[in-house]
Amino acid sequence: MDAVRLWSLSSQPLKHLIRTTTTRLVIRCCSSTTTATNPGGRAPKAGGRNRRLSTSSTSTSDRDAVRAIRLKKVEELRSKGLEPYGYGWERTHSANQLQDIYKHLGNGEESKPDKDGVSIAGRIVARRAFGKLAFLTLRDDSGTIQLYCEKERLADDQFDQLKSLVDIGDIVGANGSIKRTEKGELSVCVNSFAILTKSLLPLPDKYHGLTDVDKRYRQRYVDMIANPEVADVFRKRAKVVSEIRKTVESFGFIEVETPVLQGAAGGAEARPFVTYHNSLGRDLYLRIATELHLKRMLVGGFEKVYEIGRIFRNEGISTRHNPEFTTIEMYEAYSDYESMMNMTEEIVTRCALAVHGKLTLDYQGVEIHLERPWRRETMHNLVKEGTGITFNELGNDLQVAKEVTLKNLGADLDYKYKSSIEACSSVGHLLNEVFEIIVEPKLVQPTFVLDYPIEISPLAKPHRRHVGLTERFELFVCGRELANAFSELTDPMDQRGRLEEQVRQHNEKRAAAISEIGGAEDKREENDESYEVTLDDDFLTALEYGMPPASGMGLGIDRLVMLLTNSASIRDVIAFPVLKIQQ
Amino acid sequence: MAGEESTPYLEELRHLRSMAKHPSIISLLSSEISSLEKDQSPPLPPQSSPPRLTQEATSAAEKAKQTNVTARSCGKKYVASEDEKDPTKYYENRLNYIATLKNPYPHESSVSKSITEYVKEYEGLLKDQQGVHLENVTESLAGMVMKQRSSGPGCFFYDLCGDRARVQIYASASNSDMDKSEFVKIHSNVKRGDIVNVTGFPGKTMSGQISIFARSFVVLAPCLHMMPTVNPKKITEETEEWGPGRPRNPETYSLKDQETRYRQRHLDLRINPDVQRIVVETRSEITFYIRRFLHSRQFREVETPILNTTAGGATARPFMTHHNELDMQLYMRIAPELYLKQLVVGGIERVFEIGKQFRNEGIDLTHNPEFATCEFYQAYADYNHMMELTEEMLSGMVKELTGGYKIMYHSNGLDKDPIEIDFTPPFRRIDMIEELNKIANLEINPEDLFSEEANSDLKVACKKYGIQCPPPETTTRLLDKLVDHFLEEQCVNPTFIINHPEIMSPLAKWHRSRPGLTERFELFVSKHELCNGYTELNNPIVQRQRFANQLKDRQSGDDEAMPLDEGFCRALEYGLPPTGGVGIGIDRLCMLLTDSVNIKEVIPFPTMKPQDQPSARPS
Repeated sequence: MDAVRLWSLSSQPLKHLIRTTTTRLVIRCCSSTTTATNPGGRAPKAGGRNRRLSTSSTSTSDRDAVRAIRLKKVEELRSKGLEPYGYGWERTHSANQLQDIYKHLGNGEESKPDKDGVSIAGRIVARRAFGKLAFLTLRDDSGTIQLYCEKERLADDQFDQLKSLVDIGDIVGANGSIKRTEKGELSVCVNSFAILTKSLLPLPDKYHGLTDVDKRYRQRYVDMIANPEVADVFRKRAKVVSEIRKTVESFGFIEVETPVLQGAAGGAEARPFVTYHNSLGRDLYLRIATELHLKRMLVGGFEKVYEIGRIFRNEGISTRHNPEFTTIEMYEAYSDYESMMNMTEEIVTRCALAVHGKLTLDYQGVEIHLERPWRRETMHNLVKEGTGITFNELGNDLQVAKEVTLKNLGADLDYKYKSSIEACSSVGHLLNEVFEIIVEPKLVQPTFVLDYPIEISPLAKPHRRHVGLTERFELFVCGRELANAFSELTDPMDQRGRLEEQVRQHNEKRAAAISEIGGAEDKREENDESYEVTLDDDFLTALEYGMPPASGMGLGIDRLVMLLTNSASIRDVIAFPVLKIQQ
Repeated sequence: MAGEESTPYLEELRHLRSMAKHPSIISLLSSEISSLEKDQSPPLPPQSSPPRLTQEATSAAEKAKQTNVTARSCGKKYVASEDEKDPTKYYENRLNYIATLKNPYPHESSVSKSITEYVKEYEGLLKDQQGVHLENVTESLAGMVMKQRSSGPGCFFYDLCGDRARVQIYASASNSDMDKSEFVKIHSNVKRGDIVNVTGFPGKTMSGQISIFARSFVVLAPCLHMMPTVNPKKITEETEEWGPGRPRNPETYSLKDQETRYRQRHLDLRINPDVQRIVVETRSEITFYIRRFLHSRQFREVETPILNTTAGGATARPFMTHHNELDMQLYMRIAPELYLKQLVVGGIERVFEIGKQFRNEGIDLTHNPEFATCEFYQAYADYNHMMELTEEMLSGMVKELTGGYKIMYHSNGLDKDPIEIDFTPPFRRIDMIEELNKIANLEINPEDLFSEEANSDLKVACKKYGIQCPPPETTTRLLDKLVDHFLEEQCVNPTFIINHPEIMSPLAKWHRSRPGLTERFELFVSKHELCNGYTELNNPIVQRQRFANQLKDRQSGDDEAMPLDEGFCRALEYGLPPTGGVGIGIDRLCMLLTDSVNIKEVIPFPTMKPQDQPSARPS
């Protein structure tokens, strides 16, 4: 089919197309004036060839041309009494099942057609047609299989239909028998077929290069069709989440659904999203953690609870951050952070085994060993190891500590880091800062970092032996935090004091930031600290009724899936990530 | 309530007294019995949260009535001090007391068994025995003290609760590892609600009560507020435990003030024995069943975004929020439908998502701004198949959770008898327009519904039957009212209403043989919609047209009509296989199976009005 023919088609009223939209469509077809540059009726191939012509106007008009041709085919199908958008299809097998059942079929061998009639359905992803023979590759959820279409096997004019009306991208159902071709390709020898859904747009070739990244995320389904391994990431993600549930439920944890919309957003330090409830006439915050409500359940008498759920933080977007992300938080009464370390190992290793069947995996070219036990080391020791600074000898003099730190880290330290060290408001903050700058990136193999300073751990219980520290750990793999856990702070007075301090510090920063920009109203919105932090008084009251000693752990599921699917960006594991508005 | 609460516990005490030999124990029991006989009403739950400034008239009256009842002390020797009547004083005294302790919130706790396991093991081991002690066995238990009594300075009894079970602690100075004065100090300051850890040996008291005889006794977390009293009947009648599908009545709970129950759910969970089962466990069993059901049919669980640039997939007013760094207006999803279908386009043929949806609408008995749904989509299936799947899922779930297909539900309110709802498959099916025309004697022609005449005919029909339709009177809304009035009323047992007109169903595929209709079903139970499903509309041209029609309704003032989602339409152009999809309201399902007429009963932390505003309860 060539461009001339396209022109002649599109100038006719597309009567049977669809009741109401005919005129609009004609206009759309006619407006695609640049179609002459695309001589291909075999649209996808054309699309592939033109891939390098990446200016959007060209590809848009290409698409419009293909769309017009295919709409014509829709009409043609209707005129033949066929429905281009079918209502269903009875499948007997998936592609993979067939590959498996018939793996012993020799080259050139055919199963008995009367006995082994099969029926499959899927998307056509490749197509080669010769005189009286056509080969189509059909892909379904499980894999691919070839459709072997011989003119004489098909009834009436079905073969001609197949050649003229089926495009790459169409969803097709086919019946037939099984045969392995001489070249060794297992095929369904098609007796009859039906177009179940006529696709209107051409499929791209495999996407490559940075220019397409944005489109990959915006039209994830195209990415999934073009790159089957992308769809696989989401299949693996489903497996990981299901494995986590299985694991924690086998330990007797019960899932609780806590609210997303809250009167006060607590449980972490982050800018929350704000929304407004019309009939209540009040602002509500989207949760930034599930922690405070899950702890209420412990107060209510549950001893092992968890929630897998969405968390929202009104923060920047990066390869590790999406404004909404998924975590599991779990709490166990009458246990401490030691037991949560074991639980974390259990969860991560079981997930790795479920996805890979082994505990050694490749992440972006680095071999990661998940065999237990994982290294457990205190933050103090790790910092000493990485910098030579012995923080517990520095005492509480912040100024001295800063001097020692800067001297130790040397003059070639990045200016950015120097100023963040200068900005530290306590020795605890300083220790953490040094840890983040120097140690974190080096923690490639799974490592539990223990005993964080109290200043940066407002919800963790003071360490039973070391003053100034808390019973807290974070799990690092590949230089990234994967999990965060502590023996939970159960003392309501201590908790109130620490949260009030957090609010006070936040308000101070906020006030400072506001005065810095000289009260310029319009700029205030953009500042990092411009949001309000409020105390969750109901939570503190709940603690006053008595919460059993407990440990709790939060694990970022997106990051775990990144690790287990060797994905570089969080956007590769979130099906529909938040993106900037397109210009 | 005063009359009914006493019996079993009192009888137990009387039985104990008849068995007891030691005079001090007899006198303790006697005083306890007489105190119980005199005063049985539980006191008002303490309000430790910020004071409620305004109260609705009825609830204020109830409060006034309840505050007249004084707090009852828990044992004779334990004399109620003034602070027991004054929550603020009580709280201060507790703070003062814990200030004298070295570490009122210790790190270490040790638990060798759950209370349930303990009771089960030693009830079995010490069957029909009395006054036996297994002194060479050591067990550690932890839980909450729900009742305490003392028989002199050297001997204390507690009811330890946790894990929905209860066991008695017997703490005597002679068994204890503490010196006497320390022992007395600790024990005379134990309050109801304290979380404690006890290590000791198992045994049975003279009356055959399974107990743990404490060697060490540590308060892990003191309760600083007065705990509402538990109605003893509720914990003694263990055989009458509530289960899914059975009727219940929150009016009979020890703690029944709704404001307290929903705002301080932790108290509700501790005090009212059914609540853990209802709010958390039944919901968890339901989602567990759904997941297993769908997983076993090769459905994959996926996650689609809650924050979107448009809110599509349903007709409802969305919540709006703002992303600072991107300076972008975002909507919270009202349905995951459009994204799930995109994943089917992408090649995942069977998907489901169990998750929260958000609708910026009023709060009432059946609506919370956030609610949970399960949506599932299957490629190459149509609505007939999805109806069968839904039928199989729901009837199977009811069977598994309740043991049968029939449940009891207070459809007509708590003051009426519960009715029986029968989930035995197959469910009844009603053809919407056919049935409406028959019952209401109308002549609706589905092919004409987009016309002005049809709209005015429906207005006439509504008027004729006295059916109110608040403006805008769009054809869709008028039809909806008629269906509500004539058809949904019949749907007490699960009933599918099927084949909705196109005008009501912008995302459903046109019916293969009946023009003007779609292949859609809604499942109604107890007159409420529980599921909604259809053969998915996968023709992008028709989909765009449907969105355009919705736009017409928006322009006529229906701001709940669906906006055009260009991204979704584009996805359809790449080809969505023939697909069937269903959405199920999980909260509604929880309500049915827990006999809850208020959605707040089944949501652990429902959205509540701000406390400093007058509560205008929805009627």
